[in-house]
Amino acid sequence: MNTRTNSILTLAVVTLALAGFAPRSSVAGDLVADQKARIAQLKVHPNAKPHVAFVSNGVADFWTIAKAGALAAGRELGCDVTVEFPGGGLSDQKRMLEDLVTRGIDGISVSPIDPTNQAEVMTLVAEKSFLITNDSDAPNAPRLCYIGMDNYDAGYLCGTLGREGCSGGEVAIFIGRLEQDNAKRRRQGFIDGLLARTPDSKRYDEPTKVITESGYTIVGTWTDSFDRAKAKANIEDVMIKHPKLALVTGLFEYNSTLAVEVFKQAGKTGVIKIAAFDEGADVINGIREGIVLGTVVQDPYGYGFESVKVLNAFNKGDMSLVPANGVVGIPARVIKKDNVEAFWKDLKAKLKAGKEAGASK
Amino acid sequence: MKKSLGIIGIFLAIFLIASLFGENFLTGLNLQNLTNRTALYSILALGASIVIVTGGIDLSIGSVVCLAGITVPWLLVEFEWSPWQVIPVVLAGSALIGLFHGLLITKLRLQPFLVTLCGLLLYRGIARWMTGDQSQGFQGEFGDVRAIALARFTVPGFRELGIEGFRVPATVIPMVVLAVVIGLFYSRTVWGRWILATGRNESAARYSGVPTERLTILSYVACSLLGGFGGMLFIFDIGSAQPSDFGNFYELYAIAAAVLGGCSLRGGEMSVVGVLVGAATLQLLRNTIMLVGVGSQIEFAVIGAVLLIGVGADELVRRLSARRAERLAVAAHT
Repeated sequence: MNTRTNSILTLAVVTLALAGFAPRSSVAGDLVADQKARIAQLKVHPNAKPHVAFVSNGVADFWTIAKAGALAAGRELGCDVTVEFPGGGLSDQKRMLEDLVTRGIDGISVSPIDPTNQAEVMTLVAEKSFLITNDSDAPNAPRLCYIGMDNYDAGYLCGTLGREGCSGGEVAIFIGRLEQDNAKRRRQGFIDGLLARTPDSKRYDEPTKVITESGYTIVGTWTDSFDRAKAKANIEDVMIKHPKLALVTGLFEYNSTLAVEVFKQAGKTGVIKIAAFDEGADVINGIREGIVLGTVVQDPYGYGFESVKVLNAFNKGDMSLVPANGVVGIPARVIKKDNVEAFWKDLKAKLKAGKEAGASK
Repeated sequence: MKKSLGIIGIFLAIFLIASLFGENFLTGLNLQNLTNRTALYSILALGASIVIVTGGIDLSIGSVVCLAGITVPWLLVEFEWSPWQVIPVVLAGSALIGLFHGLLITKLRLQPFLVTLCGLLLYRGIARWMTGDQSQGFQGEFGDVRAIALARFTVPGFRELGIEGFRVPATVIPMVVLAVVIGLFYSRTVWGRWILATGRNESAARYSGVPTERLTILSYVACSLLGGFGGMLFIFDIGSAQPSDFGNFYELYAIAAAVLGGCSLRGGEMSVVGVLVGAATLQLLRNTIMLVGVGSQIEFAVIGAVLLIGVGADELVRRLSARRAERLAVAAHT
């Protein structure tokens, strides 16, 4: 190896090392400032029609409703909207974000699957466009704001629902996956709400640890990577391993639906209580029949609508829709027997709009 | 049967470990759940084995499961078809998929790997497109149709064995019927023998007058038909599914069960009992991991390691006994 090659290699290693050791938060902070400066300096043509994108973290009915909201906002505000649902997980989402940036998109609202390990692609979006997050936040990423509910608070509501309907005993938690920020926070919120702890979103109980506190024993958290047969098997097996199970929660939509299904088949309805999340049809029926304590629901339509509204405003040089704390809050609600019918009627209308939006795009 | 002894041994060893260390493993409800899961995956594994025995492969099983499974509630709920229309249509559609594969492989001489890999993408894409990516479910209705998978039958004798609450899942019936039919087909019919011959040496079979193309097409039709039928049973069992993830990787479970059960990926070898035990072993392992309390994060690693050790040990024992037999034969000769 000659001297010149050595020098080039040394330079490359030093550059890479410096890039790697640069504090991530400061890089993110610079990028946020850079985006704000770009918004402030925008010279907007009166007929400008921004093209913004809404990217989900997977494929679900939940996202179809969000899509309806995003497209409705696009129609109302006169901007083009592209909605993408990554069906293949992290790599699929990364590819979609890169392709959108390549297309020269004017702003992206994304629900990051694994924010800690998606720093590069989110930095790319922030450098070339405007980045905001929805549904699941990435506080350390260079995002201009987060649109959605606080998943810790929503989990806390679900835990409180469990505490009100079940005074103690063994509790099991079922969730699709734990990698994403919203799943972690939702789970922690549930635990803290159930155990009536003082709310602290920084707290973290290891999923493998059995927690015995305030008359409850949380026997574990089980994930299924979105394989519903596996999710069903998880509930069946935990029910057998822990015959004294008093309460379960399904923190993703289908987890609660499958819990209703399994308990019906095993004749355990009412014996094991369910504190649910999201609005699966079986969960709604379960609330009507009294076999589900209640469910915590989000407003995906609002996530889609507000995302497009905020991104459109950025492209008009307007930052006023973003509060100082960077969170555009869309709170979760608790649905119980007394408000289930009104909620269901409203949801049906939004689902219909979502289907029409799906057919038109 | 001989080639299945290894997997039967692995199954018994895991069963013993689960009985000793798994909490409530030997309860009626757990054994009932295990039997149900085994039956569901066995039907897919039998389909995979039918293609593997010809020396082929079908990577589209999971996507056929998805398309067929999703179509059932889609037609029942969205289009209000009657179950008597839906079930034959879904089964016929699945068979047509197999026919499509078979024709491409035999007439166009395309690689089975490639054809079915494209099928894997194609059928999932169709399922996602036709449902608008929305999850499909029975909305709490159609209990009578779902009973095809959800019904449970009381069988006398288990209480005397100390296992209370065990009822035979309805899915066992199609599994047993299919296993018997497939077993008899390969062992007692000329067509079955011809397929085995085709798998061992396709050219030799063809020059001997065996209609290899027709038999290969038939095998792919049977595989997709079983995939579609399995998909129907899965959706009846689960109640709802999302087109983007339903059936993901099920082809690998099916192929793994078939190969563990004694089917050679080179073709020409088949053991129905082995395939059933292979499928049961995979489900037993997952159940054992849960009940023994090994973390679910390590589940796949444990399954991989146990199967590798088991299959490795089986191969070693087989080689040692073959060498011993050879030595004895030489000694007897001299």
